[in-house]
Amino acid sequence: MRANRASIAIATIVAGILLLTAAHAQDRVVRLADGSQGAGQLDPHLSTKSQDVILFGMIFNGLVRFKPGSINPADIEPDLAASWESSPDGRVWTFHLRRGTQFHHGHGEMTADDVVYSLKRAADPKRSAVSSDYREFKTVEALDPYTVRITLEKPVPSLLGLVANYQGGYVISRKAAEKLGENFKLSPVGTGPFAFAEYKTDQYVRLVANKDYFRGRPAIDAIVMGYIPSGASRELAFKKGEIDAFLGRREGRWVSRITLTPRLEVDVFGPGELRTLHFNMTVKPLDDIRVRQAIAHAINRDELRALFGKDVTSTAISPVPNDYLGQTNDVPTYPRDLAKAKELLAQAGYPNGLKLSAIISNNEALLRPMQVIQEQLRRVGITLDLDVVEHAAFHAQIRKDLSPLVLYGAARFPVADAYLTQFYHSASIVGTPTAVTNFSHCKVADAEIDAARSETDPVRQQQLWAAAQRKIMEELCAIPLFEQLQVWGRRDTVHYGFLLKGAMSLGPLFTEASTIAE
Amino acid sequence: MVAFIAKRLLSAIPTLLAVLTVLFVIIRIVPGDPAIAILGDNATAEAVAALRERLGLDHPLYAQYRDFLLMIAQGDLGSSMATGQPVWDEVRSTLPYTLELTIASILIGIAFGLPIGALAATNRNTIIDYAARIGSLLGLSFPAFYTAILLILAFSIELGWFPVISQGVPLTDVGNRLYNLALPAISQGLIMVGYVARASRSSILEVLGEDYVRTARAKGLDPRVIILRHVMRNALIPIVTVVGLYLGLLIGNSVLTEIVFNRPGIGKLIVEALSQRDYTLLQGLMIVFAFFIVLVNMLTDIAYGLIDPRVRRQ
Repeated sequence: MRANRASIAIATIVAGILLLTAAHAQDRVVRLADGSQGAGQLDPHLSTKSQDVILFGMIFNGLVRFKPGSINPADIEPDLAASWESSPDGRVWTFHLRRGTQFHHGHGEMTADDVVYSLKRAADPKRSAVSSDYREFKTVEALDPYTVRITLEKPVPSLLGLVANYQGGYVISRKAAEKLGENFKLSPVGTGPFAFAEYKTDQYVRLVANKDYFRGRPAIDAIVMGYIPSGASRELAFKKGEIDAFLGRREGRWVSRITLTPRLEVDVFGPGELRTLHFNMTVKPLDDIRVRQAIAHAINRDELRALFGKDVTSTAISPVPNDYLGQTNDVPTYPRDLAKAKELLAQAGYPNGLKLSAIISNNEALLRPMQVIQEQLRRVGITLDLDVVEHAAFHAQIRKDLSPLVLYGAARFPVADAYLTQFYHSASIVGTPTAVTNFSHCKVADAEIDAARSETDPVRQQQLWAAAQRKIMEELCAIPLFEQLQVWGRRDTVHYGFLLKGAMSLGPLFTEASTIAE
Repeated sequence: MVAFIAKRLLSAIPTLLAVLTVLFVIIRIVPGDPAIAILGDNATAEAVAALRERLGLDHPLYAQYRDFLLMIAQGDLGSSMATGQPVWDEVRSTLPYTLELTIASILIGIAFGLPIGALAATNRNTIIDYAARIGSLLGLSFPAFYTAILLILAFSIELGWFPVISQGVPLTDVGNRLYNLALPAISQGLIMVGYVARASRSSILEVLGEDYVRTARAKGLDPRVIILRHVMRNALIPIVTVVGLYLGLLIGNSVLTEIVFNRPGIGKLIVEALSQRDYTLLQGLMIVFAFFIVLVNMLTDIAYGLIDPRVRRQ
């Protein structure tokens, strides 16, 4: 009897394994692993968290889209809109929608009504985390079921960016959003190549191929985004063949080591997150430009890049990340010069050095470079006391203006205006009602940033953005340090269907053209 | 026995209330804004303020505490701030995983720890005793995540017997569930083996020195009968205490095991709730956690009574 029971148990286990294997063989499933604890809110207008953003790019479309694999605004191409035109003054934009585009799960055809609903929702601070991007929207109207007209209060730097497949630009099903209410964030309905199927808390989100996708049925049947916080477990799961692609460590040493793994390819792509050291220019001694200049001259950016490796970082000169529309490197620079740093400190009245403090996250991507900066500053007599706090606490405290120095890393929509407005415009100063992430209280370039926003001549607009960057660096509101790129490992049988140079979704993007070989 | 259980349950209420109050205050003292954690660091101050209002975080602390207690009194754990899902649903879907991991680890601990402890005690200061003591010390000394990684390397990568990541499997799929449970349970069970082996060795050694054991030996009783009938029963009380005490620790340790094996569970969910500053989810999970600690303590007390009739009479 005992032997029989044991046989049954073994048979059950074996049958289970065989069933799993069989199921895997039938479906072309790509299993991804992110490093977060789980999905947050799968509402593209509400969540700006990377673990959610990565999925939005596959579930939703915008009126226009970045060409897959690119984050260059010059590569924007039609998506839900087949064509568009704008008035000569750039204030009125008319979009002509594709006909017959279907929402997932039988929610009907996508029409102008859904686009109007989505854009108005994106502009509503109660329903959107990015509402300020849409503050210049005067009206959004449906002229007929397939035509949408957007009228602006004044021209914006990149209207197409606001209706692209990124954050507030995603079009959601009005019917589904109104029917599901609060539950929409756990049952998102879009028009993308993959439809949301299931979320198991803390475990995975499963997307299935949208057979009615307007660009054609995806070659992949399903995508499972698993949440594996442990980096070691992600690597081991890949080696065992349990996942097909995974979030890597953004370090050159890691890339060199992991590329030795058989059948693994590493993708290093944009957008890079620009690491910048912001000075609160309203507090002593950082209100003295000579102190800020001394700090800038004391910092060795090559040493900081070496910390993460040159394969996964790039140099940063301007306060706007590389390759953003309107970015320029024609700005004042502050090369490493310890003698000059000491001289500037003496001129500022600190011949024997000074003491500074900063709050910093325990997140390695921020803590480690800050520790290197701490050591570099020590060489010129500046003692930097670090208050290391948990990541969520860091974000809360720096927004309360509690840290005189803020090391921050971010990627934004790749147009200079986005970075300049959020980090260097007076309207974004932390602690104010319209605050975003202006930690330095910088306001020297407001005029140029505002003027560029409503400038219709692209050449003049770029000149204004360049002038703003120069002023910010002259005043030294912040020091750009380096850019850290995105790193993912993938099995060589997984192909995106395009060259992945960048993804605004901050992770691998799968489209109808993506494939997985047997 | 019913009166005993009822009394213990009633006495647990003030404990739970104290835990809830401390938790309610501590989580709100810890810096970090749930609205920023939920919306992401790119969110505007306007959006953050709107979400804070919607979540009721703009209310005074005493009002939030009153609402919280009223909700708990009605048996409602509320909804997760981040996902909007009822906390009960989250608990229901993850609790079985933590329970089965804990129970399996305890069973492994008892099944291996007790015989090892008995063997070491009955062969005191021999090579068997030394090996058992060093082995149990190693089991205790290795951090849970380290043991887990070693087990994965050996049994998943090299031998390919078990999966690296233990994704959730329906309860009905018993075979697959056990297959996914094996390695995490062994990883956690090894710690328990260490605790139980050490506790049972010292407890058995103590009993072995008692007069009645010497008498039994003098009567010529089979040594196995002496150990099983006369020694074990009397040595069990301290062992049960250790098991009860470390059961709580085991649930806490499950966090690391769940993260390394990527297993769903209460521990992993608590970490997520904490990182997201999801107050309601964290509160709900901690209530469940505290309840289980109280329950384990009660079961330990009941076990004393079952093992030793003198405890029942007292």
